[in-house]
Parts: sequence; structure tokens; C-alpha cells
Amino acid sequence: MNQRSKVITLVETSIIASLAIVLNLLTPFQLWPNGGSVTLTMVPIAILAFRRGIGAGITAGLLTGLILLVLPGAFYANPIQVILDYPIAFALLGFAGWTSIKDISKPSRQIIKVIMGLFTAGILRLLSHFLSGVIFFADYAPKGQSPYVYSFIYNASYILPEIIISIIFVIVLLYTAPKLFQAK
Amino acid sequence: MSKIVIGQYIPGNSILHQLDPRAKLLFVFFFFFLIFLANNTATYLVLYLFVITIILLSQIRLSLFLRSIKPVLFIILFTVILHLILTKGGEALFVTPLFTIYEEGVRQAIFIASRFLILVVMASLLTFTTSSLDLTDALEILMGPLRKVRVPVHELALMMSIALRFIPTLWEETEKIMNAQLARGANLDSGNIFKRLVAYIPIFIPLFLSSFRRAEELAMAMEARAYRGGVGRTKYRMLQYTYKDYFLIVIFLILVLVIGWLRV
Repeated sequence: MNQRSKVITLVETSIIASLAIVLNLLTPFQLWPNGGSVTLTMVPIAILAFRRGIGAGITAGLLTGLILLVLPGAFYANPIQVILDYPIAFALLGFAGWTSIKDISKPSRQIIKVIMGLFTAGILRLLSHFLSGVIFFADYAPKGQSPYVYSFIYNASYILPEIIISIIFVIVLLYTAPKLFQAK
Repeated sequence: MSKIVIGQYIPGNSILHQLDPRAKLLFVFFFFFLIFLANNTATYLVLYLFVITIILLSQIRLSLFLRSIKPVLFIILFTVILHLILTKGGEALFVTPLFTIYEEGVRQAIFIASRFLILVVMASLLTFTTSSLDLTDALEILMGPLRKVRVPVHELALMMSIALRFIPTLWEETEKIMNAQLARGANLDSGNIFKRLVAYIPIFIPLFLSSFRRAEELAMAMEARAYRGGVGRTKYRMLQYTYKDYFLIVIFLILVLVIGWLRV
């Protein structure tokens, strides 16, 4: 990669992270009274991952997670939970870019790739929140209660709708503004 | 939409504001582990005493702390209720046909809620008294050794600063685009979830396009100023430890000793 594209990737990654934060704060679809809410945070990170590759996507996600940590509403219960819930969970979203759509021209195949990419990324994020939830409940829930069920139900309840909404959103964007997905 | 302030930094000149961000970050990090050592009334009282002292030292209004506790109140209540209903042990204090509240349940519920409160207040204290740029600087230096294993620490810190810098800008931009679409008759707040989703598309496209345009302009500006990565780059502001920062180590050691001695 030459210096020019290196700098532009660096800057685009940073700005996409701010965009992800803005969309996270905008939260148009509140689901739970607190904590889990459906946001469109995944969308910019996924678009960057398709546009500039997996590395850029993961970095943007990592930055997003780290910034969310210092914003109001961040949730700390335990150091490992914090790392899993913020930097790691969001960095995993960058894996949306594992299905490159650059060299595909047929829209239907692009859509399948986008669905596969976002679905994988979303499930990886769910996994991270799930693990953190298990650690959290193991610490905080009364003895003898299974942390796995609690954690899975709580996290899946907002991440699965978020994955579906993000997929629909990205597909519509792919149709209406395909240029967003291609780097110049 | 209300005005947005990034990070929760509250400018001030208290002793906590004067501490080096690296020292504060490390202190809070290790303090998070220390909290987990507390397991009886005495140890929790020590932690409360410590936290109240530094809240007073920080000269930050109490209402601000209450505001940062609000988002996690739900999860605190949830775990408290779980403990009240499900933890058994000790005397039965309150018997209903459905569940019984035991002494141990009340004890655990209070401890868990305290742990949460202390965690949230400590984290808030860090972000209230340290600007996000200072925190980024601190992280860059503390993560410095990772450069040896080829982690691009400098680049990450730079990206973090850029991202923080652009959040208010993009927030304003989003507001502007939303208002522009509302003026054209867009309907963002009604209808089912899918209707609302579709209504957001005309906001997203200009938002993404302008973000990528901004990125291009900034990259060009950086190139024009001959940005060439982290090697040999110097800083305008240098962080420096003072005796106050070393004093934090002493305070931490005292806390570890006292809690280690009082815990069961």
C-alpha cells in the first residue's frame, strides 16, 4: 500500500468510527428500558469493511468500542467483561468484510455476500457479549443459576434484531448508493 | 436532540484534575480489580469511604454522578432482585407464598449494588476529570511497549484523536441532514419499525458521502503537511509525572493492605 492510500484509509477508519458513535447515540429503535437497544452502529463499520477490507473494519470497530467506554451509559462490572463488551465486541464487527464484494458485478451475488458478511460479524459480536454476560452473571447472579441462559436470552434479544435491521439497511444502501462500497 | 458533549470531561482545577492521566488510568484499572477483593461490610465501608473522599476532592457536583449511575440502574435493580429472591442462607426475613427473602440474600444484594456503584463512580471520576485527548495520550504511552510486537500504537492513538474530534462535527451534520429531510416532509418518528427504517435511508446516504468527503479532505491536508507516520513525530504537550502521581501508588498500596487485612 502506498503512503497516499495508507493515510486515506487511516482517516476514513477514524471518521467511520465517529459515525458509528453518532449512530449509536442516535438509537432510533429503543428495545429495552436500559442496556440493549437496537442501533445502526454496525452499518458504517460493515460498509468500511467492504470498502477498505477486514483490517480497516476491525480497527474502526475497535475505536468505536474504546470510545463508547468513556461515554455516558458505558457499563463496567468487571475488567474482562469491559474488554469483551466494548473493544472486542465491536472489533469483531469488522469481520463483515471477509466476503469481498469488490470483483462481483451481479447484484444478487453481492447481496448474498453482504448477508453472509454481516451475519458472521453480528454473530461474532453476539458471541463476545454472550461470553461477557456469562462472566458477569457468574459474578453477580446468585449461586446455582445458569449464567448461560440469562446471557444468551438477554444479548440475543437485541443483537439478533440489530443484525436483521443492519442487513436490510446495508442491502438498501448497496442498491441506492453502490459507490459507498467501493474505494476510489 | 440535545447538544452533545463528547466524553464527560468537566474542566476544573482540583487535585484530581492535576494528576497525570497515565497515573489516573492505571490507578482506576487496578482499583477495578481491588473492588473484587471486598467481601464483607468492613471492606465495603473502606471502599465507600475512599470513594466519597475523592468525590469531595474532585469538586464535581453530585448530580453529575447520579446522572452517570442512571443508565446502569436497571441492571443493578435486576441483580438486586435476583439476589433477594434466589440467594438462600441465614434467617428467613420475609416469607411469601412465591419466594422467601433470606438474610444472606439481603447481604449479597447490598454488596453487589455497592460494587456496581463504586465501579461506575470510579469510572465516571476518571472521565470527569480527564479529557478524552489526555486519555488518548495516556493510552498511547502506556501501550507503547506493544510497538515491539508490531502493534501500530501511534496510528491507533492518532485515529482515536481524529475519531473523537469528528463526533461533534458528524453529530451536527446528522442533525442538519435530518432537519433538511424533515423540511421536505420526511417522517422519522412514526410507523412501524420498517417504515422508520426506510425513512432513515435518505439521511444515511448524504451522511456517508459527506463523511467520506471529509476523510478525503483531511487526508489531503495531512499529506500537504507531510504526515509520514509515527516514527520521529514529536508532541506539542508532554506528559510529566509529579510527586502527586507517585503518591497514588502509596494510596493504592494502603488500600490493598487494609482491604486484604479486613476481608474474610
